[in-house]
Amino acid sequence: MTKASDSAAPRRSPFPPWLRKRVPTGGEARRVRDLLAELRLETVCSGAHCPNLPECFARGTATFMILGGTCTRSCRFCAVPDDPPGPLRDDEPGAVAEAAARLGLRHVVVTSVTRDDLADGGAGHFARTIRAIRQRLPKAVVEVLVPDFEGREADVETVCAAGPDIFNHNVETVPRLYPAVRPQADYRRSLDVLAHALRFAAGRDRPRFTKSGLMVGLGETHDEVRAVLADLRGAGCGIVTIGQYLAPSPAHVPVARFVEPEEFAAWEAEARAMGFAAVAAGPFVRSSYHADRVYEQCTGDVTA
Amino acid sequence: MAVEDVKLPDLGEDAGDMARVAFWYVDPGDQVESGDELLQMLTDKATFDVPSPVAGKVVELVADEDQEVLVGGVLCRIDTGD
Repeated sequence: MTKASDSAAPRRSPFPPWLRKRVPTGGEARRVRDLLAELRLETVCSGAHCPNLPECFARGTATFMILGGTCTRSCRFCAVPDDPPGPLRDDEPGAVAEAAARLGLRHVVVTSVTRDDLADGGAGHFARTIRAIRQRLPKAVVEVLVPDFEGREADVETVCAAGPDIFNHNVETVPRLYPAVRPQADYRRSLDVLAHALRFAAGRDRPRFTKSGLMVGLGETHDEVRAVLADLRGAGCGIVTIGQYLAPSPAHVPVARFVEPEEFAAWEAEARAMGFAAVAAGPFVRSSYHADRVYEQCTGDVTA
Repeated sequence: MAVEDVKLPDLGEDAGDMARVAFWYVDPGDQVESGDELLQMLTDKATFDVPSPVAGKVVELVADEDQEVLVGGVLCRIDTGD
């Protein structure tokens, strides 16, 4: 006799029932893993211990993480190690393009670690990666999720001039929690990065949209989330993602609250009413989760 | 008779990381189809239901409830009858 009746009432799980996923059978996961290993590419999926990894890899997709596997910042929500950075790989832009082509991606998302040790923060490497993907996959949508480049407008412009369709930079949390969650970042600076990308795009083809995201469940209030959404709209941000914060280990910032699916639905409706062209909100929503489908919500350019 | 090891699948953890067995949906002797849920695992970020990759009879639960298992570690053995 099976114990399937137990499935309705999981016993020892510290997570609420909506933070439960089924591991896919079959799919492309092995092929994705092998390709990433062959081309020596990092993904944020793996680096951040993303709970969506089994699902996304099985679908044959991944979010590339360039500029190395270690980060010069020590945000307390993130699993990517903050060991000393290594040299950039000159062949990395080509390897990302090769992987995207062999996976047959129509929507390519590229993010990175933060490289405060580099004079341009890695902006030039981002631009080369965007151009390599464009050359290899001219029809693909290219989305970049960039660090704040310490607010340097020239570096934002270097990335934007390479012509990504979507320029994403996450604010991650509400300003009050920055010292505890991302101590080396600055909320206003992040908003300025988004605003500057949009200013650069004016009169050009691309970036077509700016995008940002935040985690909830870190101890923020509803009014604080509302204020962040308003600030993002004020910076002209067209696409927003809202997901549950999950601690990668007991050494990271603990989860303050598990936000219920109904509350995410309410945030989605509220963000739409505020004028975002596309919104994704839900317990397992991450910045690049189903990024292709989120982009399909956009019907036209959104400006400030 | 062919007995297959069912291993802990890729749950997003790094090699060398562990996931914890929450509980088994099946007992030794149960017949399962490919895709039937075998057990529930916990990582630091979520609860995962792990389906059987094969059809057959569960012959042994190798990992106990509450036990931590390394990525790639054996969870149970299933006789596929081949």
